[in-house]
Amino acid sequence: MSSSMQFYISNLLVYLGVDVMACLGLNLQFGVAGLINLAFIVFQAAGAYTAAVLTLGPSTARGGFQSYILGAHLQFPLPWLAAAVVGGALSFVVGLIVLRRLRTDYQAMVMLVISLIATTVVTNATGLFNGSNGLALIPQPLESVLKLSPVGYQWFYVGLTFACTILVWVIVRRITGSPLGRTLRAVRDNDVAAASLGKNVTQLRLIAFVAGGAIAGLSGAILAQFISAWSPGSWLFPESFVYFSAVIVGGAGNNMGAVVGAALVPVAFLEATRYIPQFGYPGLVDALQWVVVGLLTLGVMWFRPRGVFPERTRRFARPPGSEPTHE
Amino acid sequence: MSGEPLLSVRGLAKSFGGVEAVRDVSFDVAAGSITGLIGPNGAGKSSVLAIVSGFLAPTSGSVHFGGELVSGHSAYRLARLGLVRTFQLSSEFERLSVIENLLVAAPNQRGDRLRDVLAGRWRWRAEEDEAVARARELLARFEIPEKEDDLAGDLSGGQKRLLELARALMTEPKLLLLDEPMAGVNPALIRRIEAHLMALRDEGLTMLMVEHELGVVERLCDPVVVMAQGQVLSSGTMAELRANEEVLDAYLAG
Repeated sequence: MSSSMQFYISNLLVYLGVDVMACLGLNLQFGVAGLINLAFIVFQAAGAYTAAVLTLGPSTARGGFQSYILGAHLQFPLPWLAAAVVGGALSFVVGLIVLRRLRTDYQAMVMLVISLIATTVVTNATGLFNGSNGLALIPQPLESVLKLSPVGYQWFYVGLTFACTILVWVIVRRITGSPLGRTLRAVRDNDVAAASLGKNVTQLRLIAFVAGGAIAGLSGAILAQFISAWSPGSWLFPESFVYFSAVIVGGAGNNMGAVVGAALVPVAFLEATRYIPQFGYPGLVDALQWVVVGLLTLGVMWFRPRGVFPERTRRFARPPGSEPTHE
Repeated sequence: MSGEPLLSVRGLAKSFGGVEAVRDVSFDVAAGSITGLIGPNGAGKSSVLAIVSGFLAPTSGSVHFGGELVSGHSAYRLARLGLVRTFQLSSEFERLSVIENLLVAAPNQRGDRLRDVLAGRWRWRAEEDEAVARARELLARFEIPEKEDDLAGDLSGGQKRLLELARALMTEPKLLLLDEPMAGVNPALIRRIEAHLMALRDEGLTMLMVEHELGVVERLCDPVVVMAQGQVLSSGTMAELRANEEVLDAYLAG
């Protein structure tokens, strides 16, 4: 395989890993707990910026061409861990405000507004993360230590990403496959009835929200350090809708659906089509990507409203000889 | 029936803006009884039930449950104390299976706690097996065992009422608040639900029941509290109430 082909494939695989993680996190919030987090991308961005400023070193380095807070040189994997913690902590704060009293449809509106506010603040408060220019030259984990060839390092990064993806899968599976996951689905279906059965609805929503936010933060760190740059243009509010499309297409409430949705929507339809030759006026192909994602979502809602892999209920094994009689 | 009442409501009031939905309501629910709460539409029965179950904060007044002051507690805390309500409209978790609906209600589950869940299945598996066995007993008792794996949202209206009862019992309540358990139920099933409720009472469960169907109230409830225009009008057995002019005027004669 030529090295440019290897670059192409390894790029896609890293994006796949990042998007699978993000979709698993969003599925926990939206598919399982019913929280319409239209600010999901903000929590990914929070992780990305965290990893960036914790690896870039002091902002006076390189002639101080970009300004940012906190500049530090932390060793891998601390920036990734910090990104997950920041994603979770930010979710906790936002969740405490939004999830306590509002109904889920109003929660969705507030989340959308939070996404817009976050973009405006980061763009205009240039001292935070270098404003609209964003952060560049973000160091890559262990690159200076490993001394691999560029292609070799690409594959190393794929491995690192997939290791994290598997870890996230295991954690999410443990939650969704447990009584806790069942209770979260119950809260999603009828929060008043869940409260009447002794469930602390706010606390349960916060658990799903914070876990999803931590996963989003980790995915952002992996993405930002892979592309070595991160700016407000990377996380405009429509990016949340890409992940929503992915979860809905794959099958909300089903982890396998989140994986398939991530492979179909952000990777196959957005990333891979970036390499389609441009035609028409500049920007036409990019605009068409959004149209195609919209059509795909509509098509799935029409023909398979519960997604490629619908949510499943759990069946419980019976002790032998006690089959119920069917009427 | 003697000793402390299980539930004691004193001077309860609730106003929504200028409207006084509940005014100075006081009554007791004796342990082991099925107490009825009747009255015309708009009498404030549902508001009283919502306040007692913690879904609505009273403007003033107190609710004692098992001797403990509980007014002001949120609904989930009251449910954990054993004060559990059902709903007039079906409130099943529609995308969960029937047995999953019951399992959600199992009290104090380890598998509901994040740290136990992350530690792995072994932390909660034994408890889950017990809950599954108990849920199957309840499904058998309410004669819907074959529905175990069906989506709850796909059940018929009557089956949803049975599921609602079974799910509430799964919490192991001390006091069950029933909000029109017979609403929209056909006469044959009404008799079956009545039999279930009587059996539960005989096993020691206390119930407070809002119900419009007076035949049902007459057969099940003793005593009965009559409300009208936000106030308690009278209380006693159904036979006593039928002889009460005031009650007849306000309600029974319509």
